[in-house]
Amino acid sequence: MGNLVWHDLGHFIATTASVYAVWSSFFGLYFRKFFWDFVGGTLRDPGGIQPAPGAAVFITLIVKAPIIQIVAMILGIIILAIEVPVPQVKQLAIYRSFVVRIVLLIFQSFFTILIYQGTNASLWSMIALGCYTRAQLLGEVMEEAKENRGSGEKA
Amino acid sequence: MGENWFQREFLNGRRLAFNVIFYGLHFFFFGYGWHSQATNTKLAALNALTFSVWTSRGAGLVLAFDGGLILIPMLRNIIRVVRPRIQWLFPADENIWFHRQVAYSMAFWAMVHTTAHYVNFFNVERTQVRKQIALQIHYTQAGGISGHFMLLIMVLMYATAHNKIRQQCFEAFWYTHHLAFFFMIGLYAHATGCFVRNSVDPDYIYAFPFYSTEHCLGYESWRFIIWPGIAYFAERVYREFRARRATRLSKVLVHPSGAMELRIVKPSFKYVAGQWLFIQVPEISSFQWHPFTITSAPEDPYVSIHIRQVGDFTRALGDRLGAGPSVVAAMTQAAMKGTEKDEKSGMNRGDFVEIDSHNVTLPSIRIDGPYGAPTEDVFRSEVAVLIGAGIGVTPFASILKHIWYRQKRGNLGSLRRVEFFWVCRDAPSFGWFQSLLQEVEAAQADPNFLRINIYLTQKINEDMLWNIAVNDAGAEYDPLTLLRTRTMFGRPDWMTIYGQMRQAIETGQYIPGSKSQLKTKVGTFFCGPSVLAKAIRDATVHHTSANVEFNFAKEHF
Repeated sequence: MGNLVWHDLGHFIATTASVYAVWSSFFGLYFRKFFWDFVGGTLRDPGGIQPAPGAAVFITLIVKAPIIQIVAMILGIIILAIEVPVPQVKQLAIYRSFVVRIVLLIFQSFFTILIYQGTNASLWSMIALGCYTRAQLLGEVMEEAKENRGSGEKA
Repeated sequence: MGENWFQREFLNGRRLAFNVIFYGLHFFFFGYGWHSQATNTKLAALNALTFSVWTSRGAGLVLAFDGGLILIPMLRNIIRVVRPRIQWLFPADENIWFHRQVAYSMAFWAMVHTTAHYVNFFNVERTQVRKQIALQIHYTQAGGISGHFMLLIMVLMYATAHNKIRQQCFEAFWYTHHLAFFFMIGLYAHATGCFVRNSVDPDYIYAFPFYSTEHCLGYESWRFIIWPGIAYFAERVYREFRARRATRLSKVLVHPSGAMELRIVKPSFKYVAGQWLFIQVPEISSFQWHPFTITSAPEDPYVSIHIRQVGDFTRALGDRLGAGPSVVAAMTQAAMKGTEKDEKSGMNRGDFVEIDSHNVTLPSIRIDGPYGAPTEDVFRSEVAVLIGAGIGVTPFASILKHIWYRQKRGNLGSLRRVEFFWVCRDAPSFGWFQSLLQEVEAAQADPNFLRINIYLTQKINEDMLWNIAVNDAGAEYDPLTLLRTRTMFGRPDWMTIYGQMRQAIETGQYIPGSKSQLKTKVGTFFCGPSVLAKAIRDATVHHTSANVEFNFAKEHF
């Protein structure tokens, strides 16, 4: 029943997830924490969890310098530029491509799961990803916007 | 938009009052929640987390307030009962609008609350004020689990509730919105983990609510906000019970214009003109309820609804009733051409075909309602201006019939005149409505009581043009609608219409015998697209004067 257009649903969820990603990676700049540091980590009082030596690379990229936070934030901004969309992007062909979005969302999901604040952003990105994948499989297309359609504001 | 955001939100008395009270309360609760946490000496250990914990407690209290408000506008039956008494205070028909405002506010404060808690738990782990890591609080304790679940549910509910999705696939919205049940459970259970405490470990007990308020020092807001939840649940149970009372589909009529008329007999169903109901056909879907306007008058021995087969549900229903799209499509085609009275077959456009119920067993159906609409107030004003646009004309079928019944009984209340406007693109596709108008028009003893104005906005083709040119001049009936009233072409100019009406009333020509010093109330009742609503509302506001008061009410459907 009903004719759900999956990429429209994906659009809303991807937008929410990307806003969350930008916001959470912004907080990740100040409160730096590797999400998976509990794996093999030891708890010290005070000082919190001490990550396992194997996680050293992530500690470098997240805690010592917030590289992953910055990457996640830039990715989120790029996705938002496509989803909202920024007028310049709207004219490009990638604006109507689901594959581009799917790839970007995979990366967003991957980077945000690494930082403490980003788990929900990652989960929601995956849901949006699912919606876009389904849209792609069903062969949905985004129509090119027509010019001079008028705003339809007047009675 | 003709007005900007500031004008809309702040320069309108009612909206300004709403904004001040609604957002004022939110900030008050935030401030109170913040203050009572920051000054609570029992929670000194938590207060070591400083700003983040104050923010999270403040925002938490605001969210509790929103959680209590969100279900109130959805208590449809209670609103229907109290509506006449509270109409002066706030527009009870804007309940969905209010529901949305609460939802927006909830999304914002959820962001504040969640952000603050992420900082809280980060610092709990770092300072070890409690001997646990951040992720334990997030994913093993009641507060964290329910919070993350509520956020996920909110994403799904908000995304599918967007206008675009709702119009594409109402089912996606309808089913997803029932996640609200789990959301409310999560909301009421959010504090059961006893995060706000002055003891080392949560102080659980064996009696409800399973934690001791001696050491668990939350706001206990669930004690207040659970009542709308219980009321809503009770209402849903009551609706289910009411829907199950004896209902029988007695007749199905197919009008040549393609509309199906369902006549339903349900003795326990009481309604007034202009209301609407939900219908469910278990054979097609045992969960879905679809809203339709009631088209019969309360005086009729049945409840009727008119259905055009345009969506999935209505097409499936048409198939089931043996009035499938192919049958109807042919009839619609014929009607769209504006066919004349065919002398040979004797078929009038207003005639209908009754589906033979011996061949097809009629399905069992259930109806739920009625639910309110502003058009109940027609009899409280001296002049009623009824404006229907397109399919929005349906509630006026019931109202016109009802007016007609009351006219026969000589019981019209303060109603002196009725102006009926019908703006539509292709009048012939609403043949059933025309036949009703014909009846009502023919029954008028006083030619001034009811005036019908029909505006056809469609581009007319050559055939129709000739039809009008040849048949219209000097004919007793309008060739298109077969009414005595002439059809007008193009869009109505509301400013002029209302201006003329005001002039006529003020000079005493409009209502014979009305005293000019008395204030005349003109109620406008509109059903149709919101762009048109705005144009008409502007006209009513512009022309309201000391002697004439124009009211405006819009029906949502």
